[in-house]
Amino acid sequence: MSDHLSGPRGLLDPACDICDFFAFPSPARPEHLVLVMTLFPYAGPTAVFSDAVLVRFRVRPVTIVRAEPRARFLVGSDSEEITFDLTFDEPVRPAGNKLPMQVGRCATPAGETVLFTVGDRSGGQGTGIKVFAGLASDPFMLDAPSIIETLKTGRMAFKDVGVNTLLGANALGVVVELEAARWLGAGPLFALVTETLSVGKRPVRLERIGRPEVKNIGLQWNTYDTVNQDIDLRDLYNEEDAFALANDYVGAYRARLNANLSFFDGLDGKVDWPIDQNGNHPLTDLWLEDFLVVDVSKPFVENGYFEIEKAMLDGLEHQTCGGRSLNDDVLDTFHTLMVNGGKGPRIRDGVDHATVPATNVFPYLARPNPPQPKAQQTSARIRP
Amino acid sequence: MTSDQIVTRTTSGAIAMRNLGARIEGLQLQAVQAPPTAADRAALIEALCLRGHLLGCIADLEHAAEQAEQFVREVPGAGPAYLARARTRSVWHRFSEAWRDLDTAQRCGMDPADVDGERAVIHQAVGRYDQALAIRRAAARRRGDFRSLAALAGIHAERHENDSAQRLFRESRRRYRGVSPFPLAMLDVEHGHLWLAKGTLWPARTRFAAAQQRLSGYAPAQGHLAEVDAALGDIEAAITRLRPLVASSDDPRYAAHLARLLRDVGRAEESSRCREYAAQRYDELVSRHVEAFADHAAEFWLGAGADPARAVPLARINVEVRATPQARQLLARAVRARSARAAPAPARLGQPPSSRAYLAE
Repeated sequence: MSDHLSGPRGLLDPACDICDFFAFPSPARPEHLVLVMTLFPYAGPTAVFSDAVLVRFRVRPVTIVRAEPRARFLVGSDSEEITFDLTFDEPVRPAGNKLPMQVGRCATPAGETVLFTVGDRSGGQGTGIKVFAGLASDPFMLDAPSIIETLKTGRMAFKDVGVNTLLGANALGVVVELEAARWLGAGPLFALVTETLSVGKRPVRLERIGRPEVKNIGLQWNTYDTVNQDIDLRDLYNEEDAFALANDYVGAYRARLNANLSFFDGLDGKVDWPIDQNGNHPLTDLWLEDFLVVDVSKPFVENGYFEIEKAMLDGLEHQTCGGRSLNDDVLDTFHTLMVNGGKGPRIRDGVDHATVPATNVFPYLARPNPPQPKAQQTSARIRP
Repeated sequence: MTSDQIVTRTTSGAIAMRNLGARIEGLQLQAVQAPPTAADRAALIEALCLRGHLLGCIADLEHAAEQAEQFVREVPGAGPAYLARARTRSVWHRFSEAWRDLDTAQRCGMDPADVDGERAVIHQAVGRYDQALAIRRAAARRRGDFRSLAALAGIHAERHENDSAQRLFRESRRRYRGVSPFPLAMLDVEHGHLWLAKGTLWPARTRFAAAQQRLSGYAPAQGHLAEVDAALGDIEAAITRLRPLVASSDDPRYAAHLARLLRDVGRAEESSRCREYAAQRYDELVSRHVEAFADHAAEFWLGAGADPARAVPLARINVEVRATPQARQLLARAVRARSARAAPAPARLGQPPSSRAYLAE
């Protein structure tokens, strides 16, 4: 499920559990780059941001290096990275107001702090930057049971019409809209990730995401892993720096991804991604370069996810902005690429839309879905 | 600064409790919209159990158990369903049934490490510490993180192996990598138990107070603080701590404790109201979950309930459920008290007994 519930730490504490990450040029304001993180899966109406969790967006310039055995991304150094850090106060209840109010702050690379009020859809504004945070309709879509059945049975279990497992679900959303030229420079390609970290002098990375489903489909499912089956790799992976994986567990990540990506390749009964002499799936190392890549010089398209990567693999020039938009049905793209290498029919999971489509204007995320009441209350007791 | 004193920044207790509620509400609302996945069902059961523990809310634990039964009924053959039901059955001390569920969960393909973790909980609960230790040590060897070391510390603490337990509590805390206040608050309470069992009240109080400071609504921390305050002679402080707990928690242990304190300081009427509520509630809970409440109810009848004859059969059931040293001691106390044909040293109104007597409850 994209990145929802992607590890024991997130399961324990939804306020640090990243659901998704999106990065795309604004459809309405093309000179702006939009960064969106959702967190807190199935957030109830009273969910708030943690005062101990820092939400960070990291951006680095990236270039494509045409080399053997495959073209690859060359990501800019630490000194070229810019970050946008969001923190949140404890909610307060203003006098005469029934609802508590939460204030957040976004620290920009220029040292400016943009103040915003959680839930205010007009957002906070700074120089060349707008920031929103609040409850929103979860923009992801999937038919989870069909994916689980596929993984269990080894046959594609997708239906023509599936059921969106996230129908009606909400999440906490964070949106940063940047004036690209002011903040990013020329580029035009940028590598982007988002993270949750503990607040403090030495922040500890709690979760991170670049691409969807790297952890939940790529690293969680251990049935086909012939190297180790007794460890949940996802929190180890979460703790890593997306732009500089440590050597300690790379072998374990690679073995798990090799197994799972090969499993998907075999679903149509033919091999589109032959493994190399070292036993590696051709996409494994690219998958471990776990960030979104956006070309800010190209206009918004809704279905640009993985287009830049695919073009790079094919030795072609990319045509779109890449990245990932809010309404992009990325699971269909994932399944099609993995199963038939993009050379066969598009593989649909039967769910093509989120509960409510995202909009083209700030804050882009749709308003939260109203709760559907359920008659399940525990009776009150009279106590002394 | 020792690692005991390291202040780990965690989400404010108020936010964390609010968000736990929001998670439960969100998962429940979601189940109305679309069929929940096994992971969502398990998450809801887990969250209800957690809130039940933190707030002393038996209704949450009962709801979790209902959800687990429904999960097994509606998704037969699903490993996570049996694992979830095993957890809720363990909560109610239905250990044999929980054990059978764990076997089924493993046959249905659940990760043996997860299943073994639950087996260790049962081993520990029934006093089979060697078996529990073997599982927990293996888990700590695989990954020596907060969770595995905290579990190991808990077993050493129950075995009164204080040096090992202290070292593991410290090491576990040092390895905590999250921002949720719940695990640290729970660790502090377990650490406090260790000191309490040794009879060293101030270090116990420090740990319970740390848990309470991190998570002000944490009922067991507040309840233990009241227990220690009373044992240290500050009965009024203990009463002040217990009153809101009696109002917020549907676990009668707090009303039982408050009844005893009020009786000892001469507030007979209020004491009687609390005693009546606790007696009624214990009867209710024993009729529904005898295995889980036999020990607490027996303690109640030996203390504020002042009817040791009612304590004996309950203490006996408790020994049948889990023959731990504590269970045997409780039975022995109950039998002695019944033989004496009186409640243990009922203090005259307004004259508290030796303050350490409060630790018995």
